Amino acid sequence: MRERRNIPPKIAQRLLLRFLREDYAEEVLGDLDEKFLSVCQKQSNLRAKLNYWKQVIHYVRPFAFKRSKYSKHSFMLGHYIKISWRSILRHKALSTIKIGGFAVGIAACLLIALYVGNELSYDSHYQDQDQIFRITNQWTEGGEVGRWSNLQGPLKEVIEENIPEVEQVAKTVFWSWGNAGTNLVRTESSQLNIEEGGFIYADPELLDILQVKMVYGVRSQALTAPNSLVISRSIADKYFPNVDPVGKQIILNDKTDEAYTVGGVMADFPDNSHIQPDFIMTLAERQSGPGTGGWCCTNYIFYTKIKAGADKQRVEQKLLDVRDSYVMGQLKTAGKTGLEEMELHHSYYLQPIADAYINTAEVSDDITHGSMELVWIFGAIAMVILLLACVNFINLTTAKSLQRAKEVGLRKVVGSVRSDLIGQYLSESVVFSMLAILLALIIAYVALPGFNQLANKSLIMPWFSSWFLPSLCAVGVLIGVISGIYPAFYLSKFRPVEVLKGKISAGRGTAHVRGAMVVFQFMVTIVLLIGAIVTHQQFQLIMNKSLGYDKDQVITIHGLNTLDSANKASLKQEVLNLPSVQGATVSDFRPVAGTAIHNRTYWLASARLIDDGFEAARWSVDEDYLDTYGMRLVAGKNFSGAASDQEALIINETMAGMLGLQEAVGVQVIDMFDQKYRVIGIVQDFHFETLFAEVEPLAMVYGSGKSVLSVNISSEDVANTLSSIEAVWNDFKPNQQFRYAFLNQSFQKMYESFIRAKSIFLVFAVLSIIIACLGLFALSAYMVEQRSKEVSIRKVLGASVAGIFTLLSFDFIKLVLIALLLAIPLGWFLMDVFLGDIHNRVDLSWYLFAFAGVVGVLVAMITISFETIKAALVNPAKRLRSE
Amino acid sequence: MKETKLGEFEEVLLLLVGILEEDAYAFKIAEEFEAQSGRSASIGSVHSTLDRLKEKGFLTSEMGQPTAERGGRRKRIYTITNVGRNALQASRDFKVNLWNQYPGLAIDKLNILGL
Repeated sequence: MRERRNIPPKIAQRLLLRFLREDYAEEVLGDLDEKFLSVCQKQSNLRAKLNYWKQVIHYVRPFAFKRSKYSKHSFMLGHYIKISWRSILRHKALSTIKIGGFAVGIAACLLIALYVGNELSYDSHYQDQDQIFRITNQWTEGGEVGRWSNLQGPLKEVIEENIPEVEQVAKTVFWSWGNAGTNLVRTESSQLNIEEGGFIYADPELLDILQVKMVYGVRSQALTAPNSLVISRSIADKYFPNVDPVGKQIILNDKTDEAYTVGGVMADFPDNSHIQPDFIMTLAERQSGPGTGGWCCTNYIFYTKIKAGADKQRVEQKLLDVRDSYVMGQLKTAGKTGLEEMELHHSYYLQPIADAYINTAEVSDDITHGSMELVWIFGAIAMVILLLACVNFINLTTAKSLQRAKEVGLRKVVGSVRSDLIGQYLSESVVFSMLAILLALIIAYVALPGFNQLANKSLIMPWFSSWFLPSLCAVGVLIGVISGIYPAFYLSKFRPVEVLKGKISAGRGTAHVRGAMVVFQFMVTIVLLIGAIVTHQQFQLIMNKSLGYDKDQVITIHGLNTLDSANKASLKQEVLNLPSVQGATVSDFRPVAGTAIHNRTYWLASARLIDDGFEAARWSVDEDYLDTYGMRLVAGKNFSGAASDQEALIINETMAGMLGLQEAVGVQVIDMFDQKYRVIGIVQDFHFETLFAEVEPLAMVYGSGKSVLSVNISSEDVANTLSSIEAVWNDFKPNQQFRYAFLNQSFQKMYESFIRAKSIFLVFAVLSIIIACLGLFALSAYMVEQRSKEVSIRKVLGASVAGIFTLLSFDFIKLVLIALLLAIPLGWFLMDVFLGDIHNRVDLSWYLFAFAGVVGVLVAMITISFETIKAALVNPAKRLRSE
Repeated sequence: MKETKLGEFEEVLLLLVGILEEDAYAFKIAEEFEAQSGRSASIGSVHSTLDRLKEKGFLTSEMGQPTAERGGRRKRIYTITNVGRNALQASRDFKVNLWNQYPGLAIDKLNILGL
């Protein structure tokens, strides 16, 4: 036994042999054994073992390492990198173009990857991710599925009582009902009203369902008291700096008798949450407005958390069961029609919370959504641009192959094998792509603010995320290999004898490949150009469309809800007294984004119980409204301000059409609450929702507005008019900032996502043009260099400059024309799909394509002409002298 | 150009190789170094220095006889070369020269030079 214990530790020995040079093994092991024995005898066995380990570790020195295959490779790699560096320095212009093209492509990709990552990261931060849903309606008819989010308020209790799988359920209000949306805010101690957005209503359970983190207050009790609200941390810091605001009062719109009590402070919602509330007002125990309302109306969006392990489909089925056994009866009592249809086609769909933003389930609601289509378009464009950059690299490398061919020949002669050469060229392209990534990081960093503006995001570079730099390196290697693989195989193929004898003329074999790649580049470029032009045309069409009202002369003044009605009237009157004001009206309904929304179902009075009626928007306006907005009556008359107006109705042409009568003026109409109206006028159709859809039916009733004063101004001097209106405002409300908006700007806001798509097309079209032109420029420079002698001889024999220019350009122009032929049908097809079947769609007429084509060809011509004209002008004697 | 200067550790090892003669292999040299200097040195560090001295041409080596305590393995015996001996000599002369100039130790010489 003692014998066995007296041997050196095996693991240490094995470790030593792992890294130690084979030819040192014998002597070193011998030496260490002797040392071990000597320590063993002088001290203890354990000491000896520890010392052995120490000795092994002390052998970790360069001199003792294996001279392995690996180290030969790493030596060669160093050599390859050195050669790559030299070839970069030798062809500075070419290398700049190669690296620059790469860098632009990678930077675009990087930004887009950040964007796509952000879009897909929405609402993925909840602990019980899989249990949180929105409850939505689903209508299945003839194979088509439609979904929408609004549900009836009393459904909450029904769900709680009848579906045990549901852990919690909460209703919410996002649309501008009651105080939801934007309000003027002040604390008790301050007189200054400040406008804040982000108000929503919710049941107390919402905080638990969305696992909101609380800074102050207890989550389960923060919203249980009536008239309580929870504010976000940033709001708390603004209004209650450095104190715990729980229990403090917040006054909305100067209404001191309806103050809200702060029940808690929540951490700000993360940027990638589909809702961004700053104020959550409770729906608990409310007497009127939000929180009330029976089975008649669908005003709420429902969030729910189901129990762990509960099956989503089972919950959906149970919802349907509850609807049939309970809800249907209630709806009938509430006077709903079309219930048989509903039984046939209607069901419920639980939308996972993570889908609420990107909304692949296409639930219609009032929340801002991302677009999966835009994600795809972005992604595809990024890939294409990267591909363009790779193509550039391949083209330029193979074009320059003559110089490299001699190098290859010589390398082969002195013993290089093909795999070594492939390794060399691959590592060269990896070096290029790595340099490009460095440059791309800088470009992306500089371009990020602009990109954020373009995409309406607040992205940051994730420098310190653990995945970021490693994956960039991986991408660098990948791109390097992809774009290097063809040149590597091509170059390493050369036979030394032929090359060194000069038999191979440069890049002949690759000419058609290069041609194909130029065609590809310009095809992509022209398609993107077509995209940019078509979206721009579409944008112009919308902006210049005659809307049926006067959007350029109307400004809107906001925040009147802090004034009482007498003051509102006198404010309106004083504004009207200003010389440059033509008309003014107080109404919350405007034909642009941010307007109040109110829908009701209407029937002809004679058909109330016969058919299903139709839904129409309901606007409360006064007698000045039509004049202020420049809307025209096609029949009947306007409101007069008399008492009879209470039962009068002005409808638009679409609604008149839906009533199905020859002469709609004078008929009686009834709504879902059995209120009767007589139609007194028909207003010309105007677009009050998106122009991408048809005009919806609209009914205008007589009523006064709450918070918006619209003013039609005639003067050219808008600034002066505004300041005089502001002066009037300050007489009425000195403690509240004067706030206004131009109607045409509010109008543009409706098309933000479209305008974004337009800018994206434009930016990427420009990027791809830059990359393609860089490539074409270098290629033409190279070709001109190749043919310089031919050009000189032609000149000597009397060719004109123009003739030579045509000769040299023709090869490239031919390619660009082929690209154009391919790009036009492709671009037409893609734009047709992109626009879809929207209303007011721009015609895809031939001149759009012709324009894109002309721009493409022109840009190509200019690019080529730098080098070709230079070649055509050069003195032939200079070129020929050296022969 | 190979580095031909001698570091302190290198010089000591070179001397030890000369002293140990037939027994000059890494383990023994390390033991002897520890015994004579009182400082510890791992076999690895000694080996690495011997390797370097060999590259500089101050030492040569050959494999010796196997012994039982080494598990029947051979050892590498180092021998000092002429170049090595010259380097040692030069190093010694240089230092002796310096010592001779050192005040108190070489006063006579200084006087002779008339300083």
